[in-house]
Amino acid sequence: MITLVFYCLSAILVFAAARVITVRNPVQAALFLVLAFFTSAGIWLLLEAEFLAIALVLVYVGAVMVLFLFVVMMLDINTDSVREGFARYFPVGGLVGVLILMEMILVLSSTFFNKKAENISLDVPLVDNTTALGRVLYVDYLYAFEIAAVILLVAMVAAITLTLRNRKESKRQYPEQQVKVTRAERIKLVDMTSDGN
Amino acid sequence: MNIPMSDLYVLLPEIFVLTMACIILIVAVYIPKQLMELNYHLAQVTVIGAAILTLTNLTESSSIVMNNMFIHDPMSILLKAFIYLITFTVFLYSRQYLRARDLYKGEYFVLSLTALLGMQIMVSAAHFLSLYLGLELLSLSLYAMVAMWRDSKQASEAAMKYFVLGALASGMLLYGMSMFYGITGTLELQKISEVIATGKIENTLLAFSLVFIMVGVAFKLGAVPFHMWVPDVYQGAPTAMTLFISAAPKLAAFAMLMRLLVDGLQGLHTDWQGMLMIMAILSMGLGNIVAIAQTNIKRMLAYSTISHIGFLLLGVLTATKEGYSASMFYTIVYALMSMGSFGMILLLSRAGFEAENIDDFKGLNERSPWYAFIMMILMLSMAGVPPMLGFWAKWSVLNQVVASGFVWLAVVAVLFSVIGAFFYLRIIRLMYVDKPEDLTKIVVAADMRIAISINGLGILALGLFPQILFQLCMNVF
Amino acid sequence: MELICTLIVFLPLVGSIGAGLFDVTRKTAHRLTIVSVGTSFFLSAYIFKLVALDGILPFSNNSSNVLTLYQWMTLGKINLEIGFLVDALTAMMMVTVTFVSWMVHIYTIGYMKDDEHNWLNNSLAGKYSYQRFFSYISLFTFSMLMLVMSNNFLQLFFGWEAVGLVSYLLIGFWLQRDTAVYANLKAFLVNRVGDFGFLLGIAAVLMYFNTLDYKEVFLLAPSLENLNIEIFPGSEWSAITVICILLFIGAMGKSAQVPLHVWLPDSMEGPTPISALIHAATMVTAGIFMVARMSPLYELSSTALSFILIIGATTALFMGFLGLVQHDIKRVVAYSTLSQLGYMTVALGASAYTAGVFHLMTHAFFKALLFLGAGSVIIAMHHEQDMRKMGGLRKYLPITYITTLLGSLALIGTPFFSGFFSKDAIIEVVHFADTQGRFGAGFAYIALLLGVFITALYSFRMFFLTFHGKERMDEHTKEHLHEPPFVVTVPLVLLAIPSVFIGGLALETMLYSDFFKSSIYIMQEHQAFHDYHGVVSFVLHGLTQPPFWLALAGVLTAYFLYIQWTELPALIQARFSTIHSILMDKYGFDRFNDWFIAGGARKIGNVFSAIGDMKIIDGFFVNGTANVVGVFSQIFRRMQTGLLYQYAFSMIIGLLVLLVWFVHF
Repeated sequence: MITLVFYCLSAILVFAAARVITVRNPVQAALFLVLAFFTSAGIWLLLEAEFLAIALVLVYVGAVMVLFLFVVMMLDINTDSVREGFARYFPVGGLVGVLILMEMILVLSSTFFNKKAENISLDVPLVDNTTALGRVLYVDYLYAFEIAAVILLVAMVAAITLTLRNRKESKRQYPEQQVKVTRAERIKLVDMTSDGN
Repeated sequence: MNIPMSDLYVLLPEIFVLTMACIILIVAVYIPKQLMELNYHLAQVTVIGAAILTLTNLTESSSIVMNNMFIHDPMSILLKAFIYLITFTVFLYSRQYLRARDLYKGEYFVLSLTALLGMQIMVSAAHFLSLYLGLELLSLSLYAMVAMWRDSKQASEAAMKYFVLGALASGMLLYGMSMFYGITGTLELQKISEVIATGKIENTLLAFSLVFIMVGVAFKLGAVPFHMWVPDVYQGAPTAMTLFISAAPKLAAFAMLMRLLVDGLQGLHTDWQGMLMIMAILSMGLGNIVAIAQTNIKRMLAYSTISHIGFLLLGVLTATKEGYSASMFYTIVYALMSMGSFGMILLLSRAGFEAENIDDFKGLNERSPWYAFIMMILMLSMAGVPPMLGFWAKWSVLNQVVASGFVWLAVVAVLFSVIGAFFYLRIIRLMYVDKPEDLTKIVVAADMRIAISINGLGILALGLFPQILFQLCMNVF
Repeated sequence: MELICTLIVFLPLVGSIGAGLFDVTRKTAHRLTIVSVGTSFFLSAYIFKLVALDGILPFSNNSSNVLTLYQWMTLGKINLEIGFLVDALTAMMMVTVTFVSWMVHIYTIGYMKDDEHNWLNNSLAGKYSYQRFFSYISLFTFSMLMLVMSNNFLQLFFGWEAVGLVSYLLIGFWLQRDTAVYANLKAFLVNRVGDFGFLLGIAAVLMYFNTLDYKEVFLLAPSLENLNIEIFPGSEWSAITVICILLFIGAMGKSAQVPLHVWLPDSMEGPTPISALIHAATMVTAGIFMVARMSPLYELSSTALSFILIIGATTALFMGFLGLVQHDIKRVVAYSTLSQLGYMTVALGASAYTAGVFHLMTHAFFKALLFLGAGSVIIAMHHEQDMRKMGGLRKYLPITYITTLLGSLALIGTPFFSGFFSKDAIIEVVHFADTQGRFGAGFAYIALLLGVFITALYSFRMFFLTFHGKERMDEHTKEHLHEPPFVVTVPLVLLAIPSVFIGGLALETMLYSDFFKSSIYIMQEHQAFHDYHGVVSFVLHGLTQPPFWLALAGVLTAYFLYIQWTELPALIQARFSTIHSILMDKYGFDRFNDWFIAGGARKIGNVFSAIGDMKIIDGFFVNGTANVVGVFSQIFRRMQTGLLYQYAFSMIIGLLVLLVWFVHF
C-alpha cells in the first residue's frame, strides 16, 4: 500500500519538477513547484517525518513560494526573451544533467544493493518528532541554532540596507517639540537706529 | 543537558562580537549625525576586545566544546588573531573611502562584525553543521556588503553573481555533507575521520562525497574552475569591500579547508591530493596568465589572488604537517600583502574617482615617493622576490612540495610564478618610470598613513626575519 | 737559496707594479725598474755560478733543485702549485733573460726620452707612456722568469700566456696608430692559435700522465712510450707523439715558425727596445726552451722530431729569402730572427737540444745587439727606418758602426765569433742526423747550408746600405746626425762583448760536457757531440766545411751588389720580378690569413649575431615566449564572459570533471 502511494507521489513529483523548467508561464512554473513541494511533503510523511513534512509545507510553500509568486507577478517578465536560446543550450545542459544523474545512480545503486542501510538507533525514549527535534535543537545544537538566528538577523539587516530609501519626509508637526519651545529660540532682539529721529 | 561555564568561557570572543554587533546596530540608528564616528570606534573596540579575549585563552592542546561543535586549538587561535588584525586594519583603511561615498553607516560595521563572527565560527568548527553555518553567515554578510553601494551598477551586478554562485556552491557543499552523514552516520569531523579510518566504507562513496565538498571549499577560496566569481566581484564591489573580501575570508576559507580535509577527511588524502593538484595547477596557470591582460588593477589583483590560492593549495596537497604549516604561513602572508595592496588603491581613490586602472599608478613616485615605495614592497613581495616576505612564503611551500617528491609540480609552480612576476613588476615600472597622468594631491588621513606604512614596512621587516611568523605556524601543527 | 730565487722572480714584478700602478715620475719609474731587474740579474748570475758551474742543488739544504712555493689547489690527486725547478738550463736562461732585459731597460731611457712627441695632444695614454713602458718591460721580465723557472706545466702555461699578453701590450704600445693596433691583434691572435695546440698538449699530458709536474711526467714517460691513442676513428697515433706535436704547435706560435710566423715582422711596429728584448732574445726563445726542457718526451717520438726538423728548416730558409727584399732596417733584422729561430728549431729536431740552446744563447746577445744598433740608427735618423734613405753613416755613428759590424759578423758565423760555434754545431748535427737516417734531415741540411749564404747576404746588404756607400739622406737630417747618448751606446758595447766571446768560452761547457746532463736528456744513439779537441781545433775544422765558404761568398756578393755595382740589384729585381713580387707579398701568408681566417671569422660572427642571437635567442626564445604568454592571456581572458549562467555552468563542468576523474566506479 505504502509502496503504491510512494510511486504515485514520486511520479507526480517528477512530472511537476520537469514542468517547472519546461512550462512557459513563470506563474505556472511557480505553481508546479508548489505541487512538487506538496508531493515531497507527502513522501516525507510516508517516512514518518511528520515535522519535516509540515515544516516543508509551512515554510517552503507558505513563505517561499508565496514570495516567489509575489515577485513573479509583480515583475512583468517578458518570458519569451528569457526563454530564447533554450533550445540551443538544452543539448549540452541536458547531457550534463544526464551524466550527473547517471553517476549518482551508479553510486547510490552500488551501495543500495550491497548493503543494508544502517539503522540509526535512538538513545532517547520514543517521543514524537517535534519533541525530539525540540530537545535536540535547543539543547544539543544550541550553538548551531544561535548561529542560524544570527544568519536570519543578517538577512534582515542586509535586506533593509540594500533597499531602504528614506523617503522625503512629508511635512508634519511634532507637538512634543512645539511644546518644548523656549522664548530664546523664537525671539531675537535687534538693535537698530530708527527712521526719522 | 546544561552547558558548562567553561564552554562558554571558551566562546567568549564570539559572544562578545555578537553582542557588540547588536549594540552597534541599535546605536547606529539613534545617534545623531555628528557622532557618526562612534560606530567606527565601537567596531574597533569590538575587534580589540575579541582579540584580547582570544589571546588570553591560549592553549597548546585542542578542546572541543558545545557538544562537539566548537574546537579551540592553536590553529584557531593563530588564525583568529590574524583575522582580528586584518579586520582592524580594514576598518582603518576603509574610513576615508566609505565616507566619500556615503557608505560610512552603522550597517557597514554591523555586517562586517557579523562577517567576523562567521569567520570565527568557521575557524573553530568541529562539526559539519557549525562549519556550514559559519560559512553561510560570512557569505551572507559579504553579499550584503558588496551590494551596499546601491548607486553602483557594477556593485549590484557583482553582488548578484556572488550570491547566485555562492548559493550554488553552498548547495553542493551541503549535498556532500549530507552524503557523508549518510555514509558515516555522524556529522562530527573527528568521528567521521574515525569511521573512515576503520576502512569499512567503500572508497567510491567517499570519493563521490568528497568531490562535492571540494566544490564548496574551492568556491570560497577561489580556485579554478570555481573561480569565476572572483574577478567580477573584486572589480565590481566598492574597493573597501574588496579589501575586506580579499584578506580575512581567505584565512577563514583556509581554516575550512583544514578542518574538512585534515581534521575530518585525512584518511581520504590520496583522493583529495589529486583534486587539489589539478586545481592548484589550473589556478596558478590561469591566474598568472590572464592577469597579464588586465587593465583594471582590482581585476588584476583578483587573478593574482587566484594564482596565490593555487600556490596555497600546493602546500596542502603534500598532506604533511610541514606542508600545512607552510600553507598557513602562505595564507597569512598573502592576506597581509593583499590588505596592503588594496589599501594602496583605497589611498589613491577619492570622492568621485576610483583608482581602479593600472594607469592610475603611473608616476606615483613623482607624486609621492613614500607610497610608491610601499607599493613597491608589496608588489615585490607578491611576486616572490627576496628578501620580501612573499618570497619566504613561496619558498617554504615549494620546499615542502619538493620534499614530498613532487618536483615537477614545484617546477610548474615556479614557471607560473615567473610568468606572474610580470604584472607585479609592471606596476613598479609604471610607478617609477612613467609620467603621472593625474597630478592631484594625495590626501591621506594620519592614521591611514601610519597604518599603511606599518603594513608595507612590516612586510619588509618580516621578510628579513621570517622566522618569527614561520615558527608560529609550525607550532600549530 | 729559496729566498734568492723568489726574489729573482718577484723583484721585476714589484718594479712593474711600482712604475705602473702608482703615480710616479719618469725618473722614479726607470730607477725602480732598473734597480730591480739589475738585482735580479746579479742574483741570477750568482745562481748560475752555484747551480750550473758548481753543480750545487739549490733547494732544501742542497738536496733538490725543485721547490714548491705555493700550493694553489688540489684536484683529486693532482696538485696545482707555483714552484721552481732550477737546474743548469734554467740558470742559463735566467742569466740571459735578466741580462738582456737589464740592458734594454737602460737603453730605453734614451730611446723613450722624447716619446711624448709620438702621442696626440692630451691623450691620457701619452702622459704616462714612459712609466707605462718601463712597467711593461719589467712585467715581461717577471713573466719570462716564471716561464723558465717553472716546475710544472700549469705555471709554464701561465708564463706562456703572460709573455704573450705583455708582448701584445708592447707591440701596440703606440696605440693611436692603426698599424700598431693591427700588429698587436695579429700577434695575439696568431699566438692564440699556437696556444690552443699548447693547451691541448697540456691537457693530454694531464690525461695520460695524471700529473702536471715535470719530474713526475719525465719519470713516467718511458713507460708510456708504446701507448697508442685513437685521434680520428681508425687511425692510431702514439700518445707521446701527439703530446709532443701539440706542445710544439704552441712553440710554433711563440717562436714564430711557419705558418704561425706572420706576427713577427708586424711586431716591429713596437718600439725598438722591445723588438730587442722580446722578439729577439727572450719571448721567441720560449718555444725553443720549452722543447729543450721537454727533451725526455721528445726523445721518445721520432715522428715529432722529424716534424720539428722540417718546420724549422722551412722557416730557416724561406724566411731568409724574405730578408733579402726588405727596405725597413728593422724588418731585415726581424726576418733574420725568424730564420735563426728556424736554425734553433732544426737543432731541436735533430735531437741536439744542447746545440739549439747554445745557439739560443749566442743569438740572444747578437740579435739584441743588432736590434739595438738598428734602434740607435733610427734615433740618429730621427725615426727614419727606410734603408734607401740611409748610407754612409759610418762616419757619423762610429760606435754604432763598430758594434753592428761585430754583431753582423757574429750572426753570419765568422770563425771565433760566437755565432760561428753555435751555428756550425747545428749544421754538423743535422748532417749527423741525416746519416743516422732521421727523416727530413737531408732536406734540413741543404736548407741550412743555403741559409748560411742567404744570411750573410742580407746581413751585409743591410750593413752596406746603412753604413757605407752614398749618403742618401736629406740635408736636414744630415745636419742633426750624431751618435746617440751614452745610455744608448753603452748597452751596445756591453752586448757586443758576449756576442764576440761567449761562443768560444761556452763551447765546451755547452756541448761537450755534462753541463746539461740533468736538464736535457738525449738518447744514446742521437748524441752527436763526442770528441772535443778545443776551440781552435773546432775553428780549423770549421774552415774546411761548406758553411764558412758559403758565408764568405755571401759577404762578397753583398759587397759587389751594394758597394761596387749598385745598379745590379735593380736589374736583378726587374729580371726576376715574379719571384720578387712573391717575396714582397711574403708568400701570400698575410693575404690568406686576412681573407680566410679574419674574414671568415667576421662572417661567421655576423651570422651568429644576426641570426643566432637576434633572431633565435632574442626573437624566438625571449620575445617569443613573452608573445606566446601574451597571446594565451588574451585567449583565456575571454573565458570570463560576464554571463552568470556560464559561470554556473563552468562550476558544473568542474564538478563533472572531478567526479569522472576521481571517483572510480
